[in-house]
Amino acid sequence: MQATEAVKLLLGIGEPLIGRLLTYDALGMRFREVRLRRDPKCPLCGESPTIKDLSIHMSGGAACATEGDGRGATVGAPAARSGG
Amino acid sequence: MRSVKEMIAEARQIIPEEGPEQLEKRLRTDTPPVVIDVRDPDEYREGHIEAAANISRGFLEFRIGAAVTDLATPIVLYCQTGLRSMLAAKALSELGYTSVINLQGGYQKWAQSGLPTVRDIPLSSDQIQRYSRHFLLNQVGEKGQRRLLRSKALLIGAGGLGSPTALYLAATGVGTLGLMDGDVVDITNLQRQVLHTTEDIGRPKVESGTRALKALNPDVNVIPLATRITVDNVMDVIKDYDLIIDGSDNFETRYLVNDACYLAGKTNVHGSIFQFEGMATVFAPNAGPCYRCLYPTPPPPGLVPS
Repeated sequence: MQATEAVKLLLGIGEPLIGRLLTYDALGMRFREVRLRRDPKCPLCGESPTIKDLSIHMSGGAACATEGDGRGATVGAPAARSGG
Repeated sequence: MRSVKEMIAEARQIIPEEGPEQLEKRLRTDTPPVVIDVRDPDEYREGHIEAAANISRGFLEFRIGAAVTDLATPIVLYCQTGLRSMLAAKALSELGYTSVINLQGGYQKWAQSGLPTVRDIPLSSDQIQRYSRHFLLNQVGEKGQRRLLRSKALLIGAGGLGSPTALYLAATGVGTLGLMDGDVVDITNLQRQVLHTTEDIGRPKVESGTRALKALNPDVNVIPLATRITVDNVMDVIKDYDLIIDGSDNFETRYLVNDACYLAGKTNVHGSIFQFEGMATVFAPNAGPCYRCLYPTPPPPGLVPS
C-alpha cells in the first residue's frame, strides 16, 4: 500500500491517501477508511504553531511537550500501533 | 505575399504571450494548462519542460484533436525561441482552440531563467522490455517511467514495512532509493522482513537490503544509510529526496519524521502495523493533516509495544 501510494505521488496520478487513513484488519479481512481533517490547533501545522523547528526533539525523545485537543484522533491511541 | 516577419506580427495580434515565470506559476496550480513543445523530437529529447508533451510543428494540426479534446482547454505552446510556436498557436486558434498562449522567448528563455528542465536519456532495450507493462498503462507510459527513473525516494526503516515497499519500488524502477536503518538482521526478523535472507543474519539491514534491491533491478541506485534517523541527521538526509516513506517502528521516529517532513515541505507516506492490523496514510504539508493532527501527544514511554 505504501509502495502504491509512493508511485502515485511520484507520477502525480490518481488520488493519494491525503486526508484519509486506510486501516486494514487482516483477521476480519476488512479495510476501513477514516476521513482525517487538519487540526487548526495542531502544534505543528495549525494556525498558531508552537513547533517551528526540531528543538523539541533535542532532549532525547521528549517530543511530548505539545499541545492540541486531539480532536483529530479518530482511530484509537497511537499506543495501539507499532511497526517494524 | 507576406514575409515571415509579417506573419509573426499578425499572429502576435491574436495570440497572447506569457513569460517563463508566469507559466511556471500556473503549472503549480491545481488547474495547470496543457503544455506542448512544438519542436522536433530530437530537440525535445535534448531538454524540455517536464510537463510538456511533444507534438512537432509539422504534425500539430493532425494530432492536437487527440491530445486536447476540449477547445476551451488552456494550452501553452513553445518552441526554441518563441517564433515557430507563435505561428503554431495561430494555427490552433484557427482550428477553434480558444485559449492558446505562446511561451514568450520559448525554451531558451525558460532554461536561461534557471527554471527546471528535463532531458530524456534513451531507454536501453532491456529497460524497454523490463518496463513494457508500464507502457501499456495510459497513466504511466514511457514518460511516467522516465519520471520514476528520475525520482528519489527515501525509505526510513528496512524492516517489516520498509522491506516490501522497497522491493516494489525497486521493481517499479524508482531511480534512486535511499535505505536508512541502523539495525542488523536478526533471525526473528525473517518471518516478515522479506528483504533479508537467512545468510544475512548479523549483517546490517541496509547491506542485505541493497544487495536484494540491486539483484531485483540493477537500474536502481540504492543509497545505504546504516544509521538511525536522529534529530541531528534528519534534515540533511531528507533534503535530497522527492518523497519520504516512513516504515519506522517507534513513536519517537514517527514524530521526528513527521515534524521534519512538514518543516522541509516533503510528503511523507506513513504506515504502521501491529499484530493483525495495519494502517496507511499520506501526510502532504499544507494539503492535508499531519501526524500531530491525529495524535498531538506521543504516548508515555514504556506503554508502547514493540
